Order: sequence, then C-alpha cells, then structure tokens
Amino acid sequence: MSTAQIRFATLWRREVNRFMKIKKQTIGAPLLETFLYISVFGAALGSRIDKLHGIDYVVFVIPGLIMMAWSINAFANNSSSILQQKFQGAIQDQLSSPASPVELLLAFSLGGFMRGLVVSVLTFGAASLLVDLPVDHVLVLIPSLFLVGFFFSQLGVLIGVRAEQFDDVAFAQTFILQPLIFLGGVFYSATLLPEPFETLTHFNPIFYMINLVRYGFVGFSEVSVALSLLALTAATAALFAVNLRLFSSGYRLRA
Amino acid sequence: MSDAALQIEDLAKRYPTGVEALRGVSLRIEAGELFGLLGPNGAGKSTLIHCTTGLAQPTAGAISVFGHDAIDHYAEARQAVGLAPQEPNLDWFLTVEETLDYHAGYFGMPKRERRERATELLETFSLTEKRDERTRTLSGGMKRRLILARAMMHRPRLLILDEPTAGVDVELRLELWHYVQRIKQEGTTILLTTHYIEEAEQLCDRIAFINEGRIVGEGTSAELASEYGVGNLEDAYLALVGRKELSRSRIELEAAS
Repeated sequence: MSTAQIRFATLWRREVNRFMKIKKQTIGAPLLETFLYISVFGAALGSRIDKLHGIDYVVFVIPGLIMMAWSINAFANNSSSILQQKFQGAIQDQLSSPASPVELLLAFSLGGFMRGLVVSVLTFGAASLLVDLPVDHVLVLIPSLFLVGFFFSQLGVLIGVRAEQFDDVAFAQTFILQPLIFLGGVFYSATLLPEPFETLTHFNPIFYMINLVRYGFVGFSEVSVALSLLALTAATAALFAVNLRLFSSGYRLRA
Repeated sequence: MSDAALQIEDLAKRYPTGVEALRGVSLRIEAGELFGLLGPNGAGKSTLIHCTTGLAQPTAGAISVFGHDAIDHYAEARQAVGLAPQEPNLDWFLTVEETLDYHAGYFGMPKRERRERATELLETFSLTEKRDERTRTLSGGMKRRLILARAMMHRPRLLILDEPTAGVDVELRLELWHYVQRIKQEGTTILLTTHYIEEAEQLCDRIAFINEGRIVGEGTSAELASEYGVGNLEDAYLALVGRKELSRSRIELEAAS
C-alpha cells in the first residue's frame, strides 16, 4: 500500500472502529427500533390495513424503513463523531497529519455510510425472515441506497462541522431530519393525503428518496425514478462540494 | 545556506474574535537545535505552534519546515513535524496502543513498522502495561507520556513540545528531560515551550522570548541575561514581563541588607 492509501485506510478505520466499539448503541439500538416499527406497523396495524397500490402494507413500509435506518444512522454517526472529536480536541491528530481535505472528508463520510450500511443490511436480513420481501429492480435499488447513504453521511459531516454543542446536532436530527423522514411517506402513500398535504409532500426531498428505494424493492413509485435519481445525484454532489469547501478552508475545524 | 528546520517570517495571526495573537513573528531554528520559546500565558506560543502544524491558519507571513512551505506544501511540512500539545487531546474511544497505531497510520507508516515502533515507545514511556486500556482511564501523567509517545511515533525530524512538563511530577519531568536530550543527540530538532525557566536553561541551545505576539529577545541564556542587563535567564524573563520585584537575587539581596 502507498503512504496515501495507508493514511486513508487508517482514517476510515478510526471511524468504523468508533461505532463498532459502542455497537449496542450504534448498531443494536437502531436495529431494535426498526424491528419495532416493522412489528407495530407491519404485523399489528398492517393486518388491518388494505393493500396500498396492490402491495401488502408491511411490504410497502419496509423499503422506507430500510432507507430511514441508513439515513438516520449515517447522519447521526458523522455528526456526533466529528463533534465529539472537536470537543475532545482529538481531531487535531488527524488535522495536523499530512491528510488532504478530500481524504479527511471522505474518511469522515464513510464512517457513517458504513454504519448505515450495516444497520440496513441487518434490517433487510431480519425483514426477509418475517415477510417475503421482493427486490424488483436491483440496479435502481443499490445506487439509490448508496446515494441516500452518502447524502446523509455528507449532511452529518456538515452538521458536525458547524455544530458547537450537542444541542445543535440533536436539533437538526429531531426537529428537521426526523419530521422530514416521517412525513416523506415511509408509512403511507402520498396519494392518501388530502390537499394541500399531498402537494406539500412533493416538496419534501425525502419523499423522492423513499420512492426510489421502494421502487427498487417492490417496483412501485409515485414519482419519476429517473428524475429522482438525477436530482439525488445532483444534491449529493452539491453537498459534497460544500463540505469539501469547508474542509479546505478549515471552517470551524482549524482556528 | 541549508534549509532551516523551522523558518518563520513575519507571521501574523488574527483570530475571528479580533484578537491579534501574533504580530509579525520571525524565527529561524536550525536542524538539530533544541530551541526554547518562553513567554507569559497568552503571549502567542501555542498560536505559533498551531500555525506551524496546520491547526491554525496564519493571517500573513510564511512558515517553512525543512524547506517545505507549511501552506502550499503542507503534506511534506506536516510529515516532518511531531506535536505534543499542551492540552491532552486523546481520543477516548481508543486504547493506548491504538492511539499510537492510528497516529502513525495517519502519517502513512506501514503496519509492521507501526507495531514495532509502538512497542518501542510503549516501553520507553513505561506504558506497556497500559497498552490495552482506553485513554480516558489513564492518569494525568500517563496521558502526558502517551501524548509524547504519539508525537514521536512517525519519527518526526522536528518535534514540538508545548509545555510538556506542565503539571507532571518530578520523576516524570526528569525522565522527559533525559528523553528529550537523547532524541536531540539522535538528531531530532526540538521546539520546546515551557514556563519552567530552569528547564529552558538546562535543555535549550537557544531561547526566544515571546510577548504580546512578538519575539522580543533571542539568543543563548547568557545572551538574553546580558540583553536585559541581569544576571540570569529568570531575571531576564521577569524583566520581560515587568515583574523585576520578584527576582530571587534581588529578594535575597534585600533580605541580607
């Protein structure tokens, strides 16, 4: 391995090591939470709800839950990892190393991406044991999930860099991210909503992400898959560019 | 003229709060030198170090480390520097050994070399028994040892020690002095900031006084004493900070009379 490869692998390993050391909190808790959602909305309530767009309710809900698990975990991991290291001052060890802004940004991003991946794969595995979960469009599903994971990894990095206290991270997650996810159609179809809520849902970017992932699994989407993929790619690239600018300028990282 | 280990020219740093921490600092430290930087709290010592290591961004001026510009060629410059900061900044999630291993990895050191170097430094700093412990469980002295070992992991050519003996017991202080002298003999250039005058006097080849963001004196201990018209480095320092009345020789003289 070259010097740069060793450096990047170490930066990335540090991020993965962090969440694996507290896996009850970082893997176990979100997995249990998702399992409870599947139990309550799928098994308990789902048996009393008709099919949605010809799909069993529990099967309709699970793709959104997988997407939600990846996004929240990617976001939470990166925002808290960066903020914790800023508080401890430990981030100085990486910042005073020869690592470039791109290396640092990618390594911090991939930590959350990996945590989201682990939780989502385990959620998928557990859900597959409970219900017959199809994967209709794997070539849409995998890029969609990867883009969603990377988008929220970037968002976590952005909030972690900007945050000055843990309250800032909690605010972003509790008052912005979670309402957008819950109101983005994880548990329902937007067509069931009365106006103006149906139209308003179309202004929620997470609605498009959920539909992409749902299309990948069950072959149903309420929006254009190609346009959604394009918009998600553009949004992820834009967020990456913003973060790279912050890392290059040292914003709230270097004095 | 060969490249200096550290060359700083007209370095200025103004923080966003408006505080001017450095106001045109120029400094040259030759390779192999043990250079002391003395000054009161808030004089600009740590800011100078942070600008050198990339933790702070200079407002103006230039810094080069063994000929590598610390801004334009930061990777080469930082590769040559090891920093033991004033405040313990250890990662709570890591064990002692992981702390060393990860640091060396950030500097691109291969796995086998990392393992050998970590074993060597754990032994040198009496940390071998603590190698699997999380850093947050260490005592203050142990944390200080680990920070020094970490700074040495990637074999830096310029070692920056920011008040390394602040708050440590006598035993560890003497151990550190021996270690610093040993690595200096091995050819490592050292920049040491300290509040202990006797430490600077005993260890350093040359010393600079920094005050209010400016270098106000530079030379050997004897040269600085002579510059301030006093008998020793401590009195020169007291003259710098405007507290001549605290001079021990003066107090002894007054007591005798």
